[in-house]
Amino acid sequence: MPNATERPYDGLRVIDLTHRLSAYATRLFADLGAEVIRVEPPRGRGDRGSPALPGLGGDVCFSFLNANKKSVGLDLAGETGREVLADLVASAQVVVLEGEEAALLPLVLSVPGARVVTMVSHFGLDGPYAGYLGSDLVTQSLGGITWMSGEPGAPPLRIAGGQAGFVASLYAATATALALYDVEVNGGGPHLIDISAQEAIAHSLQNALQVWDLEGRISMRGGEGTRDATEQVLACKDGHVFLASPLGMPLSWKALVDWMAEEGHPGGERLKAPDWMDRRKRTTRALRDEFRTLFESFAADKTKAEMRAEALKRRLIMAPVSGIADLPADPQLVFRRYFSELPHPAAGRSLRMPGAPYRLSEPVWKLDRPAPLPGEHNGELSGRVTPRAAAG
Amino acid sequence: MKAQFLKGIRFADLTWAGAGPFSTKIFADFGADVIKVESASRADPVRLGGPFRDGIPGLNRSGYFASRNTGKRSVALNLKSDEGRAVVHDLIRTADVVSNNFGPGAMDRLGLGYEEVRRIRPDVIYLSMPMYGEDGPLKNLLGVGMTISAVTGLMSLTGYHDGPPLGPGTHFPDHAANPYHAAFAVLAALRHRRRTGRGMKIDLAQVESTINCVGPAVLEQAITGQEPARVGNRSLEHAPHNVFRCQGEDRWCAVTVLNDAQWESLARVIGATELAADPGLATAAGRLARVDEVEAAVARWTAERDAETVMETLQAQGIPAGVVHDPRSLMERDPQLRHRGYWQRLDHPELKEATYTSPPFRLDGERVALSRPPLIGEHTDAVLSDILGYDAARIAALRAAGTIEV
Repeated sequence: MPNATERPYDGLRVIDLTHRLSAYATRLFADLGAEVIRVEPPRGRGDRGSPALPGLGGDVCFSFLNANKKSVGLDLAGETGREVLADLVASAQVVVLEGEEAALLPLVLSVPGARVVTMVSHFGLDGPYAGYLGSDLVTQSLGGITWMSGEPGAPPLRIAGGQAGFVASLYAATATALALYDVEVNGGGPHLIDISAQEAIAHSLQNALQVWDLEGRISMRGGEGTRDATEQVLACKDGHVFLASPLGMPLSWKALVDWMAEEGHPGGERLKAPDWMDRRKRTTRALRDEFRTLFESFAADKTKAEMRAEALKRRLIMAPVSGIADLPADPQLVFRRYFSELPHPAAGRSLRMPGAPYRLSEPVWKLDRPAPLPGEHNGELSGRVTPRAAAG
Repeated sequence: MKAQFLKGIRFADLTWAGAGPFSTKIFADFGADVIKVESASRADPVRLGGPFRDGIPGLNRSGYFASRNTGKRSVALNLKSDEGRAVVHDLIRTADVVSNNFGPGAMDRLGLGYEEVRRIRPDVIYLSMPMYGEDGPLKNLLGVGMTISAVTGLMSLTGYHDGPPLGPGTHFPDHAANPYHAAFAVLAALRHRRRTGRGMKIDLAQVESTINCVGPAVLEQAITGQEPARVGNRSLEHAPHNVFRCQGEDRWCAVTVLNDAQWESLARVIGATELAADPGLATAAGRLARVDEVEAAVARWTAERDAETVMETLQAQGIPAGVVHDPRSLMERDPQLRHRGYWQRLDHPELKEATYTSPPFRLDGERVALSRPPLIGEHTDAVLSDILGYDAARIAALRAAGTIEV
């Protein structure tokens, strides 16, 4: 008889020795029912940063990436601490390690059992960069994605928000789940997965590698020579919108030109001229600049919300450039009750958290509790692991 | 190694363009039978988009398509005909997963909505990936990857510290956030089905998935009430922290000092003896207060060296630094990716030998070996006869009627 409250990763224990590159990977398992246990020094691991609020136990990155997890504080420099870690590993099906915790890899691998051990690092376990230090910016740069953003004539630009960590974590979570499938279904394993964040970034470059490999061209930041004149961030009355009306999306292009014509804007005539029918010309600096001037004069009296309403009505590919502060009022996200307020007793308030990255028809995704304080779950060790740990 | 972990799992894969096919590719790379159901008369836009082998367009010549569809099989059908739909229904009966990334309602119009599919295959795992979700006032807003960046705050956060929002230069959410959230969800659903016997529907609104990748900024704004700062390549906590121009045409190196000891080393390496001795610059706060001056000193030093030398010299002193690779230098010169066997060469009837990226990890010390992407309709006959048991006469009739398109 199936249990209606069962969740996909119920019964799975994950030992979490993560930092910023891989903490989101284990969070994804925790959200679907896994018991994810951060094992960290009694006063907490360095990835906690400085508390964003008194009682929070860490900064905003930590608090987001470690929700739904537990924390056990252990002195891993000492013999007893290492024995308890070995016992915890013995009780787990998955271990994820990163950074200084890589030094624990031999210990983790010495514990018998068919489990998945996932190592996440900036550059991988071997090779000429194995001893290099990474950071979000360094790794985005060596992975090739910093090159892809920014303005021509200005420096290349990284993508905001610590994306090296999110990209590496998403691959780490997927690869770990695949290897776990092999252990559970095929009786395979143990498996060791060696994730390189540099490789994960290099796997996320759209078609830029193929453009070089097959056609010998290098995609340039700013879109000059590659992106249509309409594909830009453009100013309107109260901010910006992003528009895409290239000739390859003919309905969106026609909708835009018709709209300008209806309002008697000069763009309605100008954009019907022959040079606007030439795909290559439309990617030049000259036409990109001309389009910006035309569109921004057209949009100067229209708000982002008005622009969005017209985009919906006219089937135009255009959306407001929202700030983070705009998100809680986004009508779609409000309708879908996307954000949740997660109570945080130690901080004495609740925290607005993004909702599930996927809506599942079974009620199995849950945000149960905030990121743990250091050692918050030490009490659960007794009897839950092995007699040796309980005695320690 | 050829990874066969998922042998026995079958996808009826209706995804197209970028994000959808990237989600199902990893399953094909790990041995699942991912059957791409596509149309030649209304072809996958990524088959029609470049780059093409030698710049010559063709349905089987797109490198972009190839990179998203390794290891899959292709069946080409007219999905708008009743006969075409009947074939898809037969295929779905044998499929563990049915995947699509059309807009809301499109699958219903094809007679392939969740409830309909569930009648055919009760324990199906059904993946949908519309931009904004399947219900709500903006569900019909049209979008591409960059519109997803726009409405999630990612575009607003991405820009130079003193400039307007620029956003990622690519359709970034299509290439990591959404496909791999989707892949993870399908793997979780497979485990759930093993344990309970029940399938499920996965409604992955690409906007909702992507907002998780700016989750820390959401939390920051909720706590401070302030819009998070646009910092570009800089940092609010560390300095110097930027990309610096090096010798050559448009060559750059990232240098990120993350603690005071790294600053001491950097100041010594670049010969900035006065700055090194300046107690005002001994702390991150002090360096942040004079960030222009500190960065200028680094820039003077990097400008006279090539980017590789800057990286190697600084890394040798324990300072995080890395070349800003362009696609060519990444593929041709990066010693790390070469050492780790990241690039695979696959042959293909029309693309000829081309370069592919490996799944970005090693498994038990080895690379997961890829298989080449399919020609359009390459496997129609094999799938219809071997899996669905159609005989030659029936297949010929479907082809004569235009239901089978290639």
